[in-house]
Amino acid sequence: MNDRPRMISLSEWDDRYKELSDAGLKEPAYGGPLSRHVDDGDLRLRALRFDNSAAALRLWNFLLTEEDRLSAARASGKKLVGTMKDLGTVPVIAYSSPELVAFYPDGAWWIPCVMELGAGLLGIADSLGIDESFCPVRAMLGAFATEAHFPIPDLLICSVGATCDDFSAIAQRLASLGHSIAWWEAPARRKPDPGEESITLPGGFRAAVDQVDFMKSELQRLRRIIEKEAGSKIDDSALCAGIKAANGVRRILAELRLTVFRAAAAPLPALEMLIAEMLAIHFCSDRTESALVLQGLLDEACARQAAGVGVLPVDAVRVFWVNPVADLRVMNLLEKCGGRICGSEFLFSHALDEIPEDLPPMDALARMALADPMIGGAEDRADRVCADIELFGAEALLISRIPGASHCATEGQVIGDRVRSRLGIPVQEIEVPPVSDSLLPTLSTRIEALVETVLQRRKK
Amino acid sequence: MIYAGIDAGSRAIKVVLFDDENGQIVASGMADQGIAQEALAKELLEKLLHQRQLPTGSVAKIVATGYGRNIIGFAHKTVTEITCHAAGVHHAVPEARTIIEIGGQDSKAISLKVDGTVQDFSMNDRCAAGTGRFLEVVATRLTVDLYTLGELSGRSRNPAAISSMCVVFAETEIIGLLAAGVEPEDIASGVQAAIAARVGTMAGRKIEPPVAFTGGVALIPGMAGALEKVLKQPVSVPADPQMTGALGAALLAARI
Amino acid sequence: MKTVVYSCPFVPAEWIAAHGFGPKRIIPSIDHDRAPSGLTQGLCPYADAFTGEAVADSRLGAIIFTTVCDQMRRIPDTRTSRTETPLFVLNVPATWETASVHKLYRNEILRLGRFLCTLGGERPNNERLASIVLDYDRRRSELRSLRDRMTARQFSEKIAAFHRDGSLESDFDPPSGPTGAGARPTPIALAGGPMLRHHFDLFDIVEDAGGTIVLDATGTGERTIPPPVDRRLAREDPLAALADVYFGRIPDAFRRPNSELYIWLKKEFAQRGVEAVLYVRHTWCDTWQAEAMRMKEWCGLPFLTIESGGDSHVDGRTLSRIQSFMEVVR
Repeated sequence: MNDRPRMISLSEWDDRYKELSDAGLKEPAYGGPLSRHVDDGDLRLRALRFDNSAAALRLWNFLLTEEDRLSAARASGKKLVGTMKDLGTVPVIAYSSPELVAFYPDGAWWIPCVMELGAGLLGIADSLGIDESFCPVRAMLGAFATEAHFPIPDLLICSVGATCDDFSAIAQRLASLGHSIAWWEAPARRKPDPGEESITLPGGFRAAVDQVDFMKSELQRLRRIIEKEAGSKIDDSALCAGIKAANGVRRILAELRLTVFRAAAAPLPALEMLIAEMLAIHFCSDRTESALVLQGLLDEACARQAAGVGVLPVDAVRVFWVNPVADLRVMNLLEKCGGRICGSEFLFSHALDEIPEDLPPMDALARMALADPMIGGAEDRADRVCADIELFGAEALLISRIPGASHCATEGQVIGDRVRSRLGIPVQEIEVPPVSDSLLPTLSTRIEALVETVLQRRKK
Repeated sequence: MIYAGIDAGSRAIKVVLFDDENGQIVASGMADQGIAQEALAKELLEKLLHQRQLPTGSVAKIVATGYGRNIIGFAHKTVTEITCHAAGVHHAVPEARTIIEIGGQDSKAISLKVDGTVQDFSMNDRCAAGTGRFLEVVATRLTVDLYTLGELSGRSRNPAAISSMCVVFAETEIIGLLAAGVEPEDIASGVQAAIAARVGTMAGRKIEPPVAFTGGVALIPGMAGALEKVLKQPVSVPADPQMTGALGAALLAARI
Repeated sequence: MKTVVYSCPFVPAEWIAAHGFGPKRIIPSIDHDRAPSGLTQGLCPYADAFTGEAVADSRLGAIIFTTVCDQMRRIPDTRTSRTETPLFVLNVPATWETASVHKLYRNEILRLGRFLCTLGGERPNNERLASIVLDYDRRRSELRSLRDRMTARQFSEKIAAFHRDGSLESDFDPPSGPTGAGARPTPIALAGGPMLRHHFDLFDIVEDAGGTIVLDATGTGERTIPPPVDRRLAREDPLAALADVYFGRIPDAFRRPNSELYIWLKKEFAQRGVEAVLYVRHTWCDTWQAEAMRMKEWCGLPFLTIESGGDSHVDGRTLSRIQSFMEVVR
């Protein structure tokens, strides 16, 4: 068996799966050949290139079987909490109750990509007046309408305010269709006024204590709502345990990111790293398993690093990536164009940083929630991006705009300007729709040109 | 030795033959783009070689660039047009620090370092409103060719305001303007101003002079002036501005 | 006295005035001569126009943005907003059903007050604030009373003038009756987000096409005139009274939930006998784009959406659409 790290196609994975199985591969219950997911309609897998490790196989199978887990959870009597938009904080509360499973219906935004528009979700959103001028997360409306991609949650919670107009409008449309939503307010995080009592949040942003207190009051209110759904109280010790468990996942992921982004030869590809990060926000509906999946990836990355091997050439240009892509294929494109991922900011850094364990749990969660990059200004994000670029040693910045997403209209300029002036590295923006096949030449040109620019700079 | 650069653009194929021993362009040519891009490129290359009485095998290396670069299978290497334009302009206008390139389908702003390598770049979004395509649409509506459109704009006394972000809607606006009796001269200069504004937006505020303007649109009278107004600084158009991409490709071929 | 400029109806003019500044709520216009913002696709033309107009005036005391929408919340971060004029972003909560968000809004108003004090303003005592609140309330009542004495356009322009500089002069000729034998203009509601200056021409366009706008439910129209204050509360706790009418009772699409908007519209549509709706929204405005189809389905009336995409005038395409719409409606 050839275990040399490489990226392979879906059809190559069938052969690889046989190899691994013959060699005694041990899989969880949701395991199996990747190609079986195509039969479920996940057609995009045919166009992707995957890491060839058993750890990557587990990651993909874990991601693509979430619907089964949610259905099983419901069948076993658990309540499903659909948390929307906050990307990281509310599930920590929900998972502190054994009666609940939390997930993000927002994740439906990838269904049009993964099913290559076959599920008709965007068409449903169009018919409801939510057209392509909105972020692809509008596919969520279609998912609720068809009930074909996740069980309808027992409780829907949505953060609004300084989150994102697209999502807020889409959620309001969902509510107008009869889905009851528990709204909660995310205040616009601002720099503390002179003389205002302030603290440093996890991740480094500073915020006024008043804002932390407000956030805490909102999360307390949500806690009561969640407890009511669970049918039992979630006491502080349960919350502390929940925070600890969440941090367990976050720590593994942090180590994975450091290992992969700083390695001389990239031990894991960009696409798997994107999926890995996504696990942090709601654990893909199984907190324990998500830790095991990430640990497997970390073990593989460490082993490859120790062996001095990588999945990409050593001289691949190190690119820091801002914003998640609506089309997974574009993560492959980065590597095809000669780049490798060397840092990322996918709009949920507050789901990656550790939640303080030396504070009362609600205080800790409030600080975490207030550290959400979405609710602050683009300058805050830019500062964090600069710091992480330096930490990971990236040579270029790629800002991926999400078509229709309201924050993308203005943030690219702010982040790009800050990175250029502070770090002097080249910056490029691209826009990635859910199925970008017709735009691949255009996207390739931009990414390739960015890579060429860096290569020229290296010669100096 | 002779090196070739092929710029397989979306509207035209351009080829430059460059002699690196004397640092001169040996030959250059352009042909309309078509479906059989590779064959068209090969045909143009061979035609230029024949014109200079050079044998087919006399080209040492070939670099392909442009939208269709990956289709040119006989090229030794492909390089994006950003890098090629930078190399080409640096050769033609060594002091240039910013390139504005407006082609048929896209536009670019490239900032150069002193040595001519790319510092940074930006490209237009999916909309064609900052490209030559917009001028073509308007020229068709005004039943003139592109060059005459440019000449018309020079006679404008009151440029029309074109507000649409989309070329399709802008065309509707122009129909409306014509119906309202607005002079074609004013429409032409309004369109040029709109394109320049879009390109200026794309280029951003920090434009380091001198600015070189390339691409086929640079040949159209009035466009350089429109750009100067928006950028608030002089803009120079190198000789053969459509060929800088192919020239740069040839120069890079010499460095393979 | 320096002027403080804003465009959002949730900014209390009284509070600014009470601190010794001149509040000016503007309706911007598109200026094609202004230098490009340098921002890429996706920027709302309204947000761009307001910011451009505000930063161009170097004599201002301050510019206030709010968090009512992402575009306005984020635009102060960008190059567009580079100016020496102090900027303030007022956090207006989207949710409204809990006491804590009302308190948040009140605290934001206080924070705005502190900001104004750093610019030379003076915090008013309760008596002064109460006096100003009641004065504005009285003048708004007077403003509302003008509706039946003016054409729809005149009234909407009067609302704009009042917000701009507090003027209430009624120098218009009273409206004449319907023209043409048997011509009963179709009552139309104008709805949607905030208008740009050239959108006032819509009133005339509708009238020329045989309609009459009987309700301006846009962000710049009647919908966002704060209702009458609780006068007793105004005397006891004027800040609470202010927060109540501004935050508590202006219906808008951005609220979560935004059910109050539909309650208000239902009442007003019924009272004014609205028979069709002209809906204005800006390109890239998610909040109002999302409501268009919902509102259309909800009201069951003929419904025309006009997209405003950075034009400085009502263009031929829009004119044709309105004319066609009116033909169908009539």
